[in-house]
Amino acid sequence: MFKKILRVFGRDLKTMTRDSMGLFILIMPIILAIGLSLFTPGLNDTTVNIALLESDDAVHIEFIEQFAKVELFKNTADIERRINKRDDMAALLPKGDGYEIVLQGNESEVVEMYTAMLSAFYELGTTKEDTTAQLMSFGHTVPPIKTMLVNMLISITVMMAGMLIAISIVGEKSDNTINALNVTPISQTGFVIGKSMMAGLFAMTSIIVSLLVTGYYDINWFMIILVGFSSMLLTFVIGFLEGLNSDDVIEAAASVKMVMLPIAGSIAGYELLADKWQWTMYWSPFYWAYKANLLVLSKTADWPTILFCTGMVIVLSMAVYILFIPKIRRGLS
Amino acid sequence: MKLLSSYIKEMKIAARGFYFYIEVGFAVILLLILLVAVNESSVSKNYEFLYYDMSDELFDVYYSSSIEDGFVEVSDNTSFEAKALSFEVTNEETGAVTSYDFDKTTYDVKTYMMYDRDTGEFNKYLYITDTEEAMIHLSYAEKKVGATTRFSDDYDVEYDYFIQGFETQRLRDLMYVVHNESQDVLMETVNSIEVRKLGEVEILNNRENLVPVMIVFMGSLMGFFIVMAYIFLDKAEGVIRAFAVTPSSVWKYLLSKIMVITTTVLVSSSIIAIPVMGLQPNYLLFYLLLIVTTFAFAALGLLVASYFDSISKSFGVLYGTMIALMIPAFSYFIPSFDPVWLRFFPTYPMLQGFKEIIMVNTDVGYVLAYSGVFLVSGLILFLLANIRFKKTLTV
Repeated sequence: MFKKILRVFGRDLKTMTRDSMGLFILIMPIILAIGLSLFTPGLNDTTVNIALLESDDAVHIEFIEQFAKVELFKNTADIERRINKRDDMAALLPKGDGYEIVLQGNESEVVEMYTAMLSAFYELGTTKEDTTAQLMSFGHTVPPIKTMLVNMLISITVMMAGMLIAISIVGEKSDNTINALNVTPISQTGFVIGKSMMAGLFAMTSIIVSLLVTGYYDINWFMIILVGFSSMLLTFVIGFLEGLNSDDVIEAAASVKMVMLPIAGSIAGYELLADKWQWTMYWSPFYWAYKANLLVLSKTADWPTILFCTGMVIVLSMAVYILFIPKIRRGLS
Repeated sequence: MKLLSSYIKEMKIAARGFYFYIEVGFAVILLLILLVAVNESSVSKNYEFLYYDMSDELFDVYYSSSIEDGFVEVSDNTSFEAKALSFEVTNEETGAVTSYDFDKTTYDVKTYMMYDRDTGEFNKYLYITDTEEAMIHLSYAEKKVGATTRFSDDYDVEYDYFIQGFETQRLRDLMYVVHNESQDVLMETVNSIEVRKLGEVEILNNRENLVPVMIVFMGSLMGFFIVMAYIFLDKAEGVIRAFAVTPSSVWKYLLSKIMVITTTVLVSSSIIAIPVMGLQPNYLLFYLLLIVTTFAFAALGLLVASYFDSISKSFGVLYGTMIALMIPAFSYFIPSFDPVWLRFFPTYPMLQGFKEIIMVNTDVGYVLAYSGVFLVSGLILFLLANIRFKKTLTV
């Protein structure tokens, strides 16, 4: 049995390397990981942007630069042109003895408040030297936004593994190899496992390399692999269902959009819902996988929590699988 | 006439398959999510851990005015379980390192809800611990800011902020000065500063803000993907090759594919936009931008499809392009993150264009200018795709 599964796996591997789709699923998350590493420092540094005149008092410019990103302009017209652009930027322009704040009008209240506070600090002569505060650092270097994006990348990779299966099945159907399976010694279960192994291997490899590229060396790798494989269970089931129910790649491609919904919804639910509403997402295995990955990446995971989350992923995925076994069997027949 | 009959034939085929209905169903699900699950205003999940190194009487005095003014509201205690942890804390000025070793502990902390002084909206939870160690344990475990507040011998308020370590230097500098002045003096100065707005621009609520994203990524951009899927299906079935022996020209066949996709995108985008936005948007501009952007991306899809003979082989380009085109969403959701390189992505002006359209004071010039850019780009891409398909008829 195992030998036959390996043969399906080997055949799929060969097919995938031939048409490069699998290779891209392997490589793209890694390229994205490199991109993430390059631009997350900019995302983390998103304090308010302030426009000042080049002719402004050098002390004022230096003061504001301590707390905000500053852009200098020759005259008021240039500043107004800049402010009217689509991003959030406030200006501090000299007026009388002090400064006025100039805004486009659609900035968030935080931008106005932050700029007003900086101007007030300058007016009041507040300096760092007068501080009564001390900063104590825990020494964490990875910003949460990077962890969140890397976690999303893992979710996308897992989803792509499902898509790989779906498109592979559609290909098998158009080549009539699915029907031919019924006269070979491989069982339907063996075929399902063999196909899943190929997608699982590709996805897991790219997840591991992506994590290394983004600098997550010292995480608990056993936990990541456990969560990774368990969260792939459901995408495999969905991949098979999509592939078997789709007559062509258009339908398979459109179905992938449907899978994006619970994945994106689970991420949004975990990140945006208040604690008292988190229970509304408990039905989604992607929610538990996202939560578990976040704990592992932020190095706050413990085994009982990870095992619980993984257990939830497996139980929910198995429930979906059991529910759809007849459909998968029918499709393979 | 041939174009029209090609389009009608393609629409009939599309109506027979599931794709069209999946798109419509998907739009309905997105609409339900927008209307039911997305709040119009943001719900803050912010919280911080605080310890007040002072007597209960002083603590009550410290908070009394804020509670009386309604900026702070006392809530029920909250229970936090922090696991066993060992870590070090470094004083950023002196470099002194303190080691902490905690057992797994459950803390019952006082909970205050803080509201914005200007808008009155909920701002964050303040969790007040009984000991400094509890505050440090919880802020490390929960990865949130912690602070100890105390009075000096001269009755100045002193703060020890416990930060995670990834905060930018600008934020650290702000923490040093933010409490240097008394709250009353600071707010008086803040309120005395004149604010001039260049225009009264409507701010979109959370729900409305998501509409451009859904239309761009689930609508226009999907045209790129779906047209490729259509072409590969026809290639597999030999339909494209059959065009060589029909009186219809290839461009009409290609355009009919784009028209089918545009019809689907128009239907699905309308399902999302109209119930959420009502009569607010300028629908003439909305449909103009929607049609030209869908046309441009579908034309790009045609050109890409002309270089491959199956979706599997084109998958890398398809997947890579789609992911890259989603990057401007970061700038859309975080307006202070707006690097120049991001503005060169076509989805950047698309997002901003749809946002302009659904706002009350639409920048018509911006939308028309980019509609023109997308139309011209789409025509060039379509022309190139047509040349490719005419040459090859298959690949």
